[in-house]
Amino acid sequence: MPRVLIVDDAAFMRMAIKNMLLNHGYEIVGEAENGVAAVKKYLECKPDIVTLDITMPEMNGLEALKAIMKIDPNAKVVMVSAMGQENMVKEAILSGAKSFIIKPFKEDHVIKTLQKIL
Amino acid sequence: MADDFLNDSMLEVYIFETSQNIEQLENAVLESEKTGRYSEAAINEIFRIMHTIKGSSAMMMLGNLAELAHKMEDLFYYIREAQPKQVDYAALSDLVLSGIDFIQAELKKIQDKKPADGDANELLAAIAVFLEQLKAANGDLQQEQDTSSVQAAAGDEYALQPTPDDEHKSRPAEGLSAYEAVLYYEEGCEMENIRAYGVIHNLQGLVEDLYYRPADILENDETAAYISKHGFTVGVLTDKPADEMRRFFADVLFLAKLEFRELDAATFAERKGGAGTVRTQVKAAAAGSGENGGKVRAQETAVASSSGQGMISVNVAKLDKLMDLVGEMVIAEDMVVQNPDLNGLELENFRQAARQLRKITSEIQDLVMSVRMVPLANTFLKMQRIVRDMSKKLQKEVRLQLIGEDTEVDKNIIEHISDPLMHLIRNAVDHGLETAEERLAAGKDKTGTVTLEARNVGNHVLIMVRDDGRGLNKEKIISRAEKHGLLTKPAAEMTEKEIFQLIFLPGFSTSEQITEYSGRGVGMDVVVKNLEKVGGSVSVDSVSGQGTAFTLKLPLTMAIIEGMNLTVGRARYTIPISAIKESVRLENHKLVRDTDGNEMLLVRGECYPIIRLHEFFKVPTEVTNLADGIFILVDYEEKPFCLFVDDLLGQQEVVVKALPRYIQNKRVRGIGGCTLLGDGSISLILDVSGFVA
Amino acid sequence: MVDYVSFQGYEEEEEDTLRGKYLTFFIDNDSYGIELRYVTEIIGIQPVTEVPELPDYIRGIINLRGRIIPIMDVRLRFRKPFREYDDRTCVIIVEMSGITMGLVVDSVAEVLSIPDEDIVEPPEIQKNHNRYVQGIARVGDDVKLILDCNKILTDDEVEQLSQL
Repeated sequence: MPRVLIVDDAAFMRMAIKNMLLNHGYEIVGEAENGVAAVKKYLECKPDIVTLDITMPEMNGLEALKAIMKIDPNAKVVMVSAMGQENMVKEAILSGAKSFIIKPFKEDHVIKTLQKIL
Repeated sequence: MADDFLNDSMLEVYIFETSQNIEQLENAVLESEKTGRYSEAAINEIFRIMHTIKGSSAMMMLGNLAELAHKMEDLFYYIREAQPKQVDYAALSDLVLSGIDFIQAELKKIQDKKPADGDANELLAAIAVFLEQLKAANGDLQQEQDTSSVQAAAGDEYALQPTPDDEHKSRPAEGLSAYEAVLYYEEGCEMENIRAYGVIHNLQGLVEDLYYRPADILENDETAAYISKHGFTVGVLTDKPADEMRRFFADVLFLAKLEFRELDAATFAERKGGAGTVRTQVKAAAAGSGENGGKVRAQETAVASSSGQGMISVNVAKLDKLMDLVGEMVIAEDMVVQNPDLNGLELENFRQAARQLRKITSEIQDLVMSVRMVPLANTFLKMQRIVRDMSKKLQKEVRLQLIGEDTEVDKNIIEHISDPLMHLIRNAVDHGLETAEERLAAGKDKTGTVTLEARNVGNHVLIMVRDDGRGLNKEKIISRAEKHGLLTKPAAEMTEKEIFQLIFLPGFSTSEQITEYSGRGVGMDVVVKNLEKVGGSVSVDSVSGQGTAFTLKLPLTMAIIEGMNLTVGRARYTIPISAIKESVRLENHKLVRDTDGNEMLLVRGECYPIIRLHEFFKVPTEVTNLADGIFILVDYEEKPFCLFVDDLLGQQEVVVKALPRYIQNKRVRGIGGCTLLGDGSISLILDVSGFVA
Repeated sequence: MVDYVSFQGYEEEEEDTLRGKYLTFFIDNDSYGIELRYVTEIIGIQPVTEVPELPDYIRGIINLRGRIIPIMDVRLRFRKPFREYDDRTCVIIVEMSGITMGLVVDSVAEVLSIPDEDIVEPPEIQKNHNRYVQGIARVGDDVKLILDCNKILTDDEVEQLSQL
């Protein structure tokens, strides 16, 4: 069962992704509300995949991504973005994110994206 | 299948989070309005909240809310990026507050299980107009382009991106083959240009050389639409076999269709070199007015949001259950420690252990109660919005002063005082405060002040609503009371306080006209009723010409009270300590009878009508001679009386248990609940208000 | 003395399997039945704390392991004379529509399965305890009066009539 860390400042979003993933046999090993917590959780849980929201207070997704990639160059991170954040997604891909999903997302999109990078 | 993850708990979380966000948003706006400027932090916070609401509303398929939030987000994005100098902040505040009201109304519909069908078109139009005007005022108008629909028609040209080692690769090296793939993405997968970039990124290391069209996928977001329509073309030069490359392309995420062909070296070179190139048409994206292509600040500055404080939100039902269990734990502990089986036994070790247990359960009790305590701050802040709206509408300058908003109150109680407070504040602003002219004429400051103050006093919380307005008019009150037949004694014999209390009587303000204290059709008696539901009360004081002060008295918590146990015959009762003024025996005081033969006790000059509990409750007892029992003096709402009981058993902290529903429905006068005593027997808790009906 | 037989196991069973089952009890020599799905517990009589200003058939409240339960004397409810409680007296705890009530009866008999065909409508006369009877069941040579639990818990008309 793939182990996932879900990072988003909105509890609603975390829940949405969690429900989708649980429906498909993924294991949620942790959740984080901002970039700082995300990095800490990554070290604690060593997940197989991270879903990382771009817009967060304190430390945003991009910076968290860079930090995680430094810790683990093989990290598999999927950025969660909204429409209109093309530049940040680009930079994320350039910084090592494996893929991205766009809000509002459909369950099958999310699952396909995660399956692809596992 | 796409909506499998949506369920009731998602809805709950959505409603909860969005409500919280709305509250934060409103506070940010009101604060900014007060200080007269929108700080960078405020703008960022507003932007971020709108962004969040947009995202979650879209996930919940609430199109109108998502769209509204989106447009608000765009508006604040512009303000954040372009930092315009000329902004009509007053209008902006109104706009955002209207948006907040709309969202709140929709949320309420959803909570009531009704369709969220509000039409935000007017609001959207207003935002669009505001944004236009904002841009025009700041000289940015000509930069505005319609970027929402890209005309990727024939005639668009895109530049070819030369790869670094471009120059000398005109013919293929040994062992290399050339292929070309055209990738067509699924409809609606969005950001095709970035996905295309991902493909290119992943090709590195697989191929010797490559080209792709459109070439400016990273710089130009318009390419997304182009790719969506015309596909993304990639040419590669590699030593990998054809089927491996074909498989690579076929595996691309969200691929709808793939065209894959082998090329000969010459064609590869040709296509790469630029024959038949296409050039980019420079669109608004290149102009840096802060829309798509402009500098995007990589992060939102941290605003004081409470996400860093290690708070979690807890389901209130769980808290209620926890409260109940703690109450039962206290009772069960008493039943063990005070068990009649233990009477007369020497149990030093047991007693010591019991003391330790008591210490721990006490601490748990305190902690659980404190968890349910919520500061009044939130409720007070809600009032700010009301004062602001009213002062605008009535053209009165009003200042709302908040004192003691950290005072905490049981969550249950907070829910019941919000409405009464709103009502009192509305009254204060509407009827209490005079118009600016009147105030100036009276030598007062033009700006009226309404003060909302809370503080702890003993076992209660006092909340005061004061205004420095015209005060209550005694004559008007008396005449209204007379008109409605509410005077129980001649006006001349009433104290000032009694006159003021008249306004709380049901029927006092039922008239259709709005007079001094009609409270706009909702009488003060509704305030009283709401408060009584949580065991609270209200009183009022006023000085003509100077102002009025309403004082709400609320119990700290409804669940555990300090009580005095007493007996009447074989029955046990408990009276809240807060209700007891004093307890006395007959010997030191005088017994008098009034003209109707009613018994009264005279204590230090004050007359206390006697209520014999054994008669009131029809309980057989041997203690019927007043000299043999005890009198408990009670002062309820300025009406003194005393209860005659057999004996006092002692003070105890008791857990209030509600009477069973069946009995509650019968409305027994004088009984407000019950509690379990240490020996398992039930003691009925007295409700002193029931004795003075 | 709290001495009880607990039917709490029924809480876990599907309500459907309780259909058609009745708990029978005695008042004087009359046998009554009440639907088992409303019964949560059966206990022996225990000290009752009186509550003022209630109808005479509501004896008061008891403490059942920390829960406060009101107690109704079924004899008085049926306008029969009061009978002192003895060690056969039982309290049937029923729960319906969020209301919990303990019904004091002379003695409890057994649980019976009575098919619907064996229960007929009661005669039209609706006075005294007949108003609470929703059916008459034939069990062997016996006749048992099946009670309407809801009416017993909620019907107030009796007081109104008596005040006329």
